Amino acid sequence: MIALYLLDVPENTGAIKVAEQLDDVKIQRRGPYFEVSADATIVIDRRATAMRHAVWYSCIAGTTGCVISQWDKDALRADPL
Amino acid sequence: MSQLRHVVRGVDHAAFPTFDPAGTVRFYRDVLGFPVVHSICAAGWGPEGHPDFIHFFFDIGNDDRLAFFYYFGLDTDVAGHPAEKGDVYARFGADVPDFFVRSRHLAIHVDTEEDLLEYRRRLDASEWPVELQIQHETIESIYTHDPNGYMFEITRALRPVLPQEDLDAQLTIEALLDVVAGPDPSMAALIARKAELIVTRAEAWEAERREHADRAGSVS
Repeated sequence: MIALYLLDVPENTGAIKVAEQLDDVKIQRRGPYFEVSADATIVIDRRATAMRHAVWYSCIAGTTGCVISQWDKDALRADPL
Repeated sequence: MSQLRHVVRGVDHAAFPTFDPAGTVRFYRDVLGFPVVHSICAAGWGPEGHPDFIHFFFDIGNDDRLAFFYYFGLDTDVAGHPAEKGDVYARFGADVPDFFVRSRHLAIHVDTEEDLLEYRRRLDASEWPVELQIQHETIESIYTHDPNGYMFEITRALRPVLPQEDLDAQLTIEALLDVVAGPDPSMAALIARKAELIVTRAEAWEAERREHADRAGSVS
């Protein structure tokens, strides 16, 4: 399993909403964080989140079992290690 | 986490050298409207070779102060040639990246968008117009450089800081200290370590907060 952690703050809502729509992705709370987990690669489309760049590039608090292979104006991609 | 009593009360003063007291007073007092609140005229203080100087202070709100030293007779290129990057205190070669040169700066707080735009208006009407206005994560800032080359920011919060952001900051710093103690610090290493801390700490933090809230609720 891989997991991304995002803090529950208003700026991160866009990313969580997009993640909720992804197939085979599970979202649960870890205290004040969202844990976005999957058994395979997770890709979040930046434009679909409507997040501003400064927010986008600081939205990930933690990663488990994965490497972020893309984090640019288009998308965030986390691949299993 | 530190259990030391936290009793400090903000910035008494932050001090910088200037070779242009006239421009500095125009910028801070006449353009921005920061009152001059204190000055020291000191003749040949301290060790031999110390020039006479004027130490003068502007009120930056909240009883905090921004101070300058003007040293009589001191060569303007004591810290490097004025054509080089940087400010009068620190000059850098052309190969030093701008993000590094700009990293050290002063940011002054305002409470509202109206106040931020008022300072923007004052700067834009001056010799030092706003160079950049930007919304960061949760703040909005305007930037310019003062007559000494110091990067100057005025900022407002777009929303209050939430309690979980304090937890997040603590976990970030704990992860950072762990990562920089290792051989190859990186963002990837930091967020991997931080995830471990989130998994082990975040739920307990939230439970404790809820308990505090319940206790406070039952008391009131």
